[in-house]
Amino acid sequence: MYKAELVKSIINKIQQSCIEKLNIMEVCGTHTHAVSRSGIRSLLPPNIVLLSGPGCPVCVTEEGLIDAAVEILKKDIILAAFGDMVRVRGSSESISDQLHKRKNIFIVYSPLDCLDLARNNPDKQVVFLAAGFETTAPGIALAVKLAYKENLHNLSFLTSLKLMPPVLHSILREKQKKIHGLICPGHVAAVMGAGYFRFVAGEYGINAAVCGFEPLDIASGLLFLTEKISSGTEAAFANLYESCVREEGNETARKIMMQVFDIADGNWRGIGEIKESSLVLKEKYCCFDALKKFNIRPHKFADNMQCNCSDVILGNIMPYECRLFGKACTPQKPAGPCMISSEGSCSAYYKYWEAGI
Amino acid sequence: MEEKIILSHGDGGKFTSTLINELFYKYYGNEILLKGGDSAVFSVKTRRRLAFSTDSFVIKPLFFQGGDIGKLAVCGTINDLAVSGAKPLYLSAGFIIEEGFSIGDLEVIVRSMGDICRETGTMIITGDTKVVEKGDADGLFINTAGVGVIENRYMPKKIKNGDRIIITGSIAEHGTAITLERYKIKAAGSFGSDCGSVYNIISSLAPFYKGIKLMRDPTRGGVAAALNEISALAGKGIRIYENLIPIRKEVIAVCNILGLDPLYLASEGRAILAVDPSMSHEILKCIRSCENGKDASIIGSFCDSCSNLVYLETEVGGRRLLNTLEAPMLPRIC
Repeated sequence: MYKAELVKSIINKIQQSCIEKLNIMEVCGTHTHAVSRSGIRSLLPPNIVLLSGPGCPVCVTEEGLIDAAVEILKKDIILAAFGDMVRVRGSSESISDQLHKRKNIFIVYSPLDCLDLARNNPDKQVVFLAAGFETTAPGIALAVKLAYKENLHNLSFLTSLKLMPPVLHSILREKQKKIHGLICPGHVAAVMGAGYFRFVAGEYGINAAVCGFEPLDIASGLLFLTEKISSGTEAAFANLYESCVREEGNETARKIMMQVFDIADGNWRGIGEIKESSLVLKEKYCCFDALKKFNIRPHKFADNMQCNCSDVILGNIMPYECRLFGKACTPQKPAGPCMISSEGSCSAYYKYWEAGI
Repeated sequence: MEEKIILSHGDGGKFTSTLINELFYKYYGNEILLKGGDSAVFSVKTRRRLAFSTDSFVIKPLFFQGGDIGKLAVCGTINDLAVSGAKPLYLSAGFIIEEGFSIGDLEVIVRSMGDICRETGTMIITGDTKVVEKGDADGLFINTAGVGVIENRYMPKKIKNGDRIIITGSIAEHGTAITLERYKIKAAGSFGSDCGSVYNIISSLAPFYKGIKLMRDPTRGGVAAALNEISALAGKGIRIYENLIPIRKEVIAVCNILGLDPLYLASEGRAILAVDPSMSHEILKCIRSCENGKDASIIGSFCDSCSNLVYLETEVGGRRLLNTLEAPMLPRIC
């Protein structure tokens, strides 16, 4: 059957099978975006509520780190960052505010591009704003290893790498009764393995599925979850993204990651500190730590957000329930990180959502 | 000639005239330009109205797969005139060049401008060159302006529900080519920009001008921006069908990797037409008979249930808004 027809028939089945109110959380921003973009959101019955989760790296990168990047930018250095990180605001400024004043900011797609930047500018210090989850961590780890091997003294990393399970534990512990199903991020699972998310069903009795990002992947995930939840049987877990995700994940990527990083407590924007939720450079690679190299101590204050981004990423409210949504907070003038990132849930709702369609 | 542009190339003296004679006259050469006056003097023997357009080009990188800043600067103004219903006739070309710019690169750019003029029957009849100190400009900026004679006066206000929307070819190829160059992404496959003139298509539609109510070129802001402009001018909503939009698989793949939406990426050799439904199939057939129009498609229509907004019906039968872009698109993290 043609893919689109298959998706339509799956959604028909969901519409028929689901009668009770279900809250399903899609953990990852890419899923939030894909659900809106494919129009699946507009086809779901009103009793299925999709909640956005904390899986957008831009949204959870702490203000202190952006402030540190802005501080480092005042020196005669080159700063490299992933595209959507440059617009996120620290306590007062974003990196893109600096773009107009300076020419030393590079947007890169691969962490390995920083090695070239460092090689080609031997008289300049190059700093990479290394943010992300288990998805970007292996690539960043590889860049650190290569820099170490090549003795690239002019490269360093400003890291904000977060881990998925600890934040999910903290959400599910509180939200056990409210969240009925979880769509787990396919790309994190591709690295860490499907087994990485099994605890959702095992420990919390919540049905969960690892899904890819095509409309068919997401629709299949939703059908699996609605059927399992409706059946009332023991919570189930499935890997529905077998084309990319193995039970044990990508061993090479995981190995490199753990060779370079240690697990430490992490500060999440809008959420606060979560135990053992971040990756920091191991002692062996500490000479690549930009904070140490430039002697900067990022402040650890409570994030000063006027919007309700934290409630959005914790699944407490829908983006349009924030009082600033669409008024004081738009993609052009974002007040919070969920509107800044193209993967942020507020940005997806603003771009695609309109009442009544 | 020197190998690099020096400040003297812009001071009006000997170096300037060498540049004009050996580069601009050589590749643009036409009777009006070669008179070398302070103004280009020409007559337009028509009682029809004239169209006049200008655009500046500051693109990075200057060279990309499928074109360069010169080709883009000439095609951009030709297309602005063409989609206004005019036959493009005469152009001007103004250069702001950074000191130290390679004359070899400049020659390639000037040559491609001359080539496009010959292909499209247009002429660059006046120009200007300024050289600024190193660091005061980023390589090269070009401004072009153009004059054309109106052949088709549209009536956007006569657009009615049911009128069709046609696009002359596959979308987002220029934006994708530039993105790949800018982020130095090595991708296998052919990723050339669609940069080119659309006047050949529009002039071939002369027998159907009555049925064409409005045209736009989906450049900055892509198809989404152009459709929103059309909707605002017509005062009507539009419904577009995702599965009817022509787009190459390679373009979809690159956009998926980078997290970019192809509906917001520029095309530089496409036009969007609002046409009467009774003539839409003949118009489509005519466009498809042109080499650069063979992927043309009817992608949607004006509708009364869309409350003056642009909607996209997705492949899976869902519906979503197609707004104009509010913030620049940047490649995502993961």
